[in-house]
Amino acid sequence: MARGLIHSKEDDVCIATTDIKAGEEVMCVYLENPSNHVIVRSLQDIPLGHKIALRDLKRGDKVLKYGRVIGEVIRDIRKGEHVHIHNIRTLRWKIE
Amino acid sequence: MIIRGYIRENGSVGIRNHVLVLPVDDISNTAALNVARIIKGVTAIPHPYGRLQFGRDLDLFFHLLIGTGSNPNVASVIVIGIEENWTNKVADGIARTGKPVEAFSIEGYGDLKTVERAARVAKEFVQEASEKQRTEVDISSLVVSIKCGESDTTSGLASNPATGVVVDRLVDLGVTVLFGETSELTGAEDIVASRIVNDELRRKFMKIYEEYISVIMSQGVDLLGSQPTQGNIKGGLSTIEEKALGNVQKLGRRPINCVLDWLDSLPKERKSGILCFVNTPSAAAEALTTFAAKGSVLHLFTTGQGNVIGNPIMPVIKITANPKTARSMSEHIDVDISDLLDSKISLEEAAERIFSYMLRVINGRLTAAEVLQHEEFSPVRLHITS
Repeated sequence: MARGLIHSKEDDVCIATTDIKAGEEVMCVYLENPSNHVIVRSLQDIPLGHKIALRDLKRGDKVLKYGRVIGEVIRDIRKGEHVHIHNIRTLRWKIE
Repeated sequence: MIIRGYIRENGSVGIRNHVLVLPVDDISNTAALNVARIIKGVTAIPHPYGRLQFGRDLDLFFHLLIGTGSNPNVASVIVIGIEENWTNKVADGIARTGKPVEAFSIEGYGDLKTVERAARVAKEFVQEASEKQRTEVDISSLVVSIKCGESDTTSGLASNPATGVVVDRLVDLGVTVLFGETSELTGAEDIVASRIVNDELRRKFMKIYEEYISVIMSQGVDLLGSQPTQGNIKGGLSTIEEKALGNVQKLGRRPINCVLDWLDSLPKERKSGILCFVNTPSAAAEALTTFAAKGSVLHLFTTGQGNVIGNPIMPVIKITANPKTARSMSEHIDVDISDLLDSKISLEEAAERIFSYMLRVINGRLTAAEVLQHEEFSPVRLHITS
């Protein structure tokens, strides 16, 4: 099974620690408590190091990683989708 | 903990024994490089600056050049500049450490006579340096710096937290540890601020941070691709906040008890165990040049996608947790902790791997960047010339 890691229990994203193929099930382990994990089915190919959504996110939602806001959703994201610069952006260095 | 280092005239401790040829300005690079061509064992560090700088930018330039020559990894220095005023200013600044320094200016002599005069002294300096011995000394005398580059999500997951464990251990052993990357704290600057020991230093840190960010934001441009970099994005980092939160994982858990702005120096008499924020750019060569000029003798550099940076006087230990980078760029990687990503080793085991390698480098083992001749020297510029 493909694998991933989640920094914090509140997080919206899991980080792929292997290359993931579309349709694959990914076992995402919590860094803070490695005996806990969730399984998410990937909707897309996701390269090692990239993020996969653990839940549906709507445009305008804040995205959590490390239990902290890392940006906002700019296009609706489905659970299992690749989360990256095409669907989230910074809240700090924003040019309107 | 005892290590083997070079104790310099002023009591500072280095882990390398370089004889440096330091050009004061761009037009003296050729003479400096020619001295290094004919004298074995000297390191010339060319750079494109040093003419018509003024104000704070010029002050910083002198601070960085004098700091570089004063670094404890340097045994002695030949300074070459086009004219004698600024050349002597740099040489006199370095001479305050007590180490051998000689200044040469080109005007009135030309390159060939200058190279000959400088090379004669360089030859003596190299022979003198070759007799300097490593002696046993406590590790607490060392200044070490940390920075990550071409980071990806594996940096925040593994290589940075493992480095953080090493940082805690170093601070507990009395070592001074420097970190910086002012702009790349954006999104985690509150975490750094909250760990600073008192309000005065915290205010100083926030002022430095806000000044730096105001320059960036005043350009009014979208920074995506610059910060995070294209390499960061390829590695999966989407925003500056995500990058910063990964960045600060390497700061360990000890209090931050020192804040240095551009022109500040480390106190000569230091209490034991310092974790120090230094105002630096986030670009690797500029940051490492700044750390070395503040006195760092060793650098721990974590990378995700594979930054190949080195420094002419400060060994740079390259650490990665990205298994693809460890494979595809193996000649650049000193410490591979990619099995931490698969939980095959613990965070403490990964930290021990870094720490034991670091001790070998302290005691003389050359790093990948040293052997591959990565000697990037990039003094920071604050503004245009006059």
